Amino acid sequence: MVRLSRVMLKEAGNAIDKTLSEILVCPLSKQPLRVCEKTKSLVSDTIGVSFPIKDGIPCLVPKDGKILEEDGDASKAS
Amino acid sequence: MRRINSLYGRIRILKRVFEKPTKQSHAFLASRSFSTEGGYGGESQQNSSSSRVKIFDRELKRVHRDRAAWLSRNKNDTFVDAVAENLLDRLEDCKKSFPSALCLGGSLGPVKRLLRGRGGIEKLIMMDTSHDMIKSCRDAQDDNSIDTSYLVGDEEFLPIKQSSVDLIISSLGLHWTNDLPGSMIQCKLALKPDGLFLAAILGGETLKELRIACTLAHMEREGGISPRLSPLAQVRDAGNLLTRAGFSLPGVDVDEYVVKYKSALDLIEHLRAMGETNALLHRNKILNRETALATAAIYDSMFATEDGTIPATFQVIYMTGWKEHSSHPQAKRRGSATVSFTDIHKQFGGQS
Repeated sequence: MVRLSRVMLKEAGNAIDKTLSEILVCPLSKQPLRVCEKTKSLVSDTIGVSFPIKDGIPCLVPKDGKILEEDGDASKAS
Repeated sequence: MRRINSLYGRIRILKRVFEKPTKQSHAFLASRSFSTEGGYGGESQQNSSSSRVKIFDRELKRVHRDRAAWLSRNKNDTFVDAVAENLLDRLEDCKKSFPSALCLGGSLGPVKRLLRGRGGIEKLIMMDTSHDMIKSCRDAQDDNSIDTSYLVGDEEFLPIKQSSVDLIISSLGLHWTNDLPGSMIQCKLALKPDGLFLAAILGGETLKELRIACTLAHMEREGGISPRLSPLAQVRDAGNLLTRAGFSLPGVDVDEYVVKYKSALDLIEHLRAMGETNALLHRNKILNRETALATAAIYDSMFATEDGTIPATFQVIYMTGWKEHSSHPQAKRRGSATVSFTDIHKQFGGQS
């Protein structure tokens, strides 16, 4: 599971750089993150939260995260 | 001097007034939890992890750091540079090289600028809670060959995978965390075995002059005090913190810097530029102009030097710790010694 998500992160190398994709985890659950190309965000599937990438800088402060709806779309649910 | 005496006299009178509750907004906040004494040491150390006391407003600190990013751009701060230089100097004492390093909040710019290839760092990750700070750090193009990545994150919720970096540097940032032991434990987890943790935090003696001046001015003008300066860790706590976080070979040392300012207002401007202004959660949100000016006047009358400048003390606690590794020296089992200390004493001449 870890290896799989790491491969997924590497494929989306243009969104964030390689060094970061190798070491970043979800700040709350410490589980691997998935890059969502469509919404330009990092998604933590374990807790269902997406973290934005602004100007190529991933924002992983818990307060910046958005809770995802059940169907998987990023929404402004709080 | 007469002025100070009159002040003390007035305080004595004011103390009697305290007995009666005056206005609600000026309630005398004698909460022990805000004192430097109980900050992170002793009993409260055990309590803090269980009840998760919130002391600082992290959101506000973020805003402060956004402001600091604008105030400190294109300027080199000698005090911050001195601390960063002192911290990075420790890398030269290590035989080991650190291919990947993580630099936590506080003074990012100076750390990046002064690194100058020390410690053999190949990959550097800069992290801060403020997006503006990170951006200004990225835009300040220094000619170094280190592969640098940027990231916005909270020290209290470190988004770094376990055992992934060789070195963590934090220059003047960790004293704003609510859960300092927790953050340090997360740092330790993020380090690879035999990784180094280097941190500089402000200690309890910091801005003692301002603390005194503030208290006196508040008592005089408002008839009560509210915390204006944040509680800071004491030197004796720093060692405990390192051991508690599970670092091996902990090392703590203290440096005191005295910075001279033209006036107390310049001091406040400097604090703003560093992003070190008050961010207590239970702070009094209103600061009277009168009180502020009184603080400046008291500061000036009590601490001014002959040349008209006012000194401000900054106590910086440097902490060093390693993540445990088999190569580290280990203490032997108790009672496993084969030689008596008395014999050693005799052998080496017995000169006390």
